[in-house]
Amino acid sequence: MPNTVERNKSIATERRKRTTAATILSLPLILFAAVFVIYPLASGALTAFQSSTLFNQTTELNGIDNFVSLFRNDGFAKSAGFTLGFSAVVVAVEMLLGFGLALMMNRAFPGKKLFFTLLLLPIMVAPALLGVMFRLLLNGNIGALPALLQIFGLNVSLFAPDSIVPLLVVLDVLQWTPFTFLIIYAGLQSFPKELLEASSMDGAGYFRSLTLVIVPVLKPVLFAAFFLRAIDAIRTFDVIYVLTAGGPGTSTTTLSIFIYKTAFEAGDFGKAAAAALVVLVVLVPFVPFIVRRISSTGIEAKK
Amino acid sequence: MYRKATALGALIVSAILLSSCSGGSGGSGGDEGSGEGTVKLVAWPGPEGDAMSKVVDAYNADQGEKDGINVELTLLSRQDTFSKEAALMASKSSNIDIYFTASYNIGQFAPSLDPLTDIDTSAYFPVAAEGLTYEDQLYGLPLDVSNHFLLYRKDLIDALLNNPAAQAEYKRVSESVLGEERAPKDPSEWDLDDFKVAAAYFSKSENPNSPTEYGTILQAKNLLYNTMIWNDVLWGYGGNWVEDGQAALNSDAAKKAVQLYADIYENGWTSPDSSQAEFPETQAALQSGNTAFAIQWSAAFASLSDPAQSPDVAGKIAIAPVPGGKTHVHALAVSLNKYSENKVAAKKFLSFLATTDAMTQYAEGGGIPAMPEVLKARTAINPAFAAVSETISENGFSEPVFPQTFQAYSKIAEDLSGAWVGQTDVDQALETANANLQELLD
Repeated sequence: MPNTVERNKSIATERRKRTTAATILSLPLILFAAVFVIYPLASGALTAFQSSTLFNQTTELNGIDNFVSLFRNDGFAKSAGFTLGFSAVVVAVEMLLGFGLALMMNRAFPGKKLFFTLLLLPIMVAPALLGVMFRLLLNGNIGALPALLQIFGLNVSLFAPDSIVPLLVVLDVLQWTPFTFLIIYAGLQSFPKELLEASSMDGAGYFRSLTLVIVPVLKPVLFAAFFLRAIDAIRTFDVIYVLTAGGPGTSTTTLSIFIYKTAFEAGDFGKAAAAALVVLVVLVPFVPFIVRRISSTGIEAKK
Repeated sequence: MYRKATALGALIVSAILLSSCSGGSGGSGGDEGSGEGTVKLVAWPGPEGDAMSKVVDAYNADQGEKDGINVELTLLSRQDTFSKEAALMASKSSNIDIYFTASYNIGQFAPSLDPLTDIDTSAYFPVAAEGLTYEDQLYGLPLDVSNHFLLYRKDLIDALLNNPAAQAEYKRVSESVLGEERAPKDPSEWDLDDFKVAAAYFSKSENPNSPTEYGTILQAKNLLYNTMIWNDVLWGYGGNWVEDGQAALNSDAAKKAVQLYADIYENGWTSPDSSQAEFPETQAALQSGNTAFAIQWSAAFASLSDPAQSPDVAGKIAIAPVPGGKTHVHALAVSLNKYSENKVAAKKFLSFLATTDAMTQYAEGGGIPAMPEVLKARTAINPAFAAVSETISENGFSEPVFPQTFQAYSKIAEDLSGAWVGQTDVDQALETANANLQELLD
């Protein structure tokens, strides 16, 4: 009937207008992605298959030679192992501490605003600067902290090989716990209070309401915090490079430091690109898994 | 509709990719320029950067006005200046006109630099200019000539030499450390064994009556500059990197050199923090009075003698040649970027730098210029100058110059820094270092 045909035509016109509008409005993002994401990714992936070095930035392809040389000695594997171990520890500690702090701050108390600001201070410092700061602060001869500890009769050596890794963990926790705290705290602010009231009416104590109500509903927020922190931890470069340059030997070399040294100290761009590509390929499968968890709402999980 | 949008998007993306593919950034050989305008110069912070900024300011106010040239100095970071420059050179950038280089990386950077053909270099130490010559062309003008000294607390050594009870204790320590009784001597006569005994004597862990906490501080951080310091010990024991064209880091001398570091570290004759120590930490150790002596860069002496910077030890620190009689020598330098777009102006400034006037200003600013005439005339500025001149001619050595020299320093530091502090086995570390050096030589 003529009415239906006209209706279909106007629906189609509407849809076309909306799609055109959508395309035009998202052009800036497409441009941005093309220039800053797709082009470097493609260029880097291509370099991984070239024998490009500092002395000779040729575009000559050399098959999988770079990948073979990557695994020929254990430098890459060692840095991967250290990075994963380091990341696992710091992310676990930061999630627990951040969650604890968020729960603690989720009530009114005198001086809350001041405490909140102080809590956020560490993430405002550039990571490399934090490394330089602590290099001075913890210096055995002229640093403030060892001087303070000496008053209590403690003579500590914080940069010794046995204590350097715990020190790096502590510095990372110090800097990034406020980050997880902030994300989880924001999540707690939009937490539906009725659920807690309902569960307490059913006789649930603090701990049970925590594990059976709060955590499941906050799952997307917790996953978001975990994901962001994990990605950043795996990429750790600044603080460690400034403090130890990956040493002694290669005991504190992370993946990023390995790639940086391969590219700019050994001058082997092809091998460095190959290492970066391997890391990307290994991490990409985890992304859909995490994104799905983040984009679901916790309330659905309760059902 | 949807297909049109996708087509449009794809067209835009490919246009961007194509336009960015054609023609790289930066020039294809640089430009002579007008002979005037801004000349951009890079240096690193520390004594060298401070001295250079004084020379640049003086030039801009005076000669620069006459030449119509304004020099802009950028200070990068001590650790990464060369990596940043490598990145700029890789992209054929014309952002910087004059690069900060050194005799240990001139071979590597030469493809991105212009040889300096029409500048008079007669005022420099011949060895400094030679160290910047690669394939018979001069690629850099020497700035600071850098070497190592044994910097020690003269007051503590004098006290030791004048006190029979202390001397007896020293002999006891020597017996325990070396298996032979040695009497204390003036540091200018020390060999590497005396160095080891003195490190033990001045450490509280070995000698509870020691005036200092630790005898020495080892610069054992995983850093290429620390390889240069360790090389003094290697050469002092008679070893070197290369023997008959083959890598020789698994020699007995090399083993002794690594073992010396490991012994000093494991016995607590240096602070455990030495595993992360380099120039600034060594300065702090000496300035605080917690350490009796150290093998340190020549540039350190000026601030250790300045009461404003080192109130506790100024006037108490003296210089001696590195025990073992060998010191690494290199020259820091300025070089002309091949892709600079203002070469004539840059060369004018470089010619100015090659004069004794400019280098005298550099010395007055805290640098140690590679000009014998300036050093001899200005010992009032820095008492180390006379010693520098002498030690370079008598004790100086330089590592083999090949394109991968810079990489070799970094790799050796990475391979050996674990063994220096007793974290990895000495023989194993040297085998790895040797294999890697051989690869770089090939």
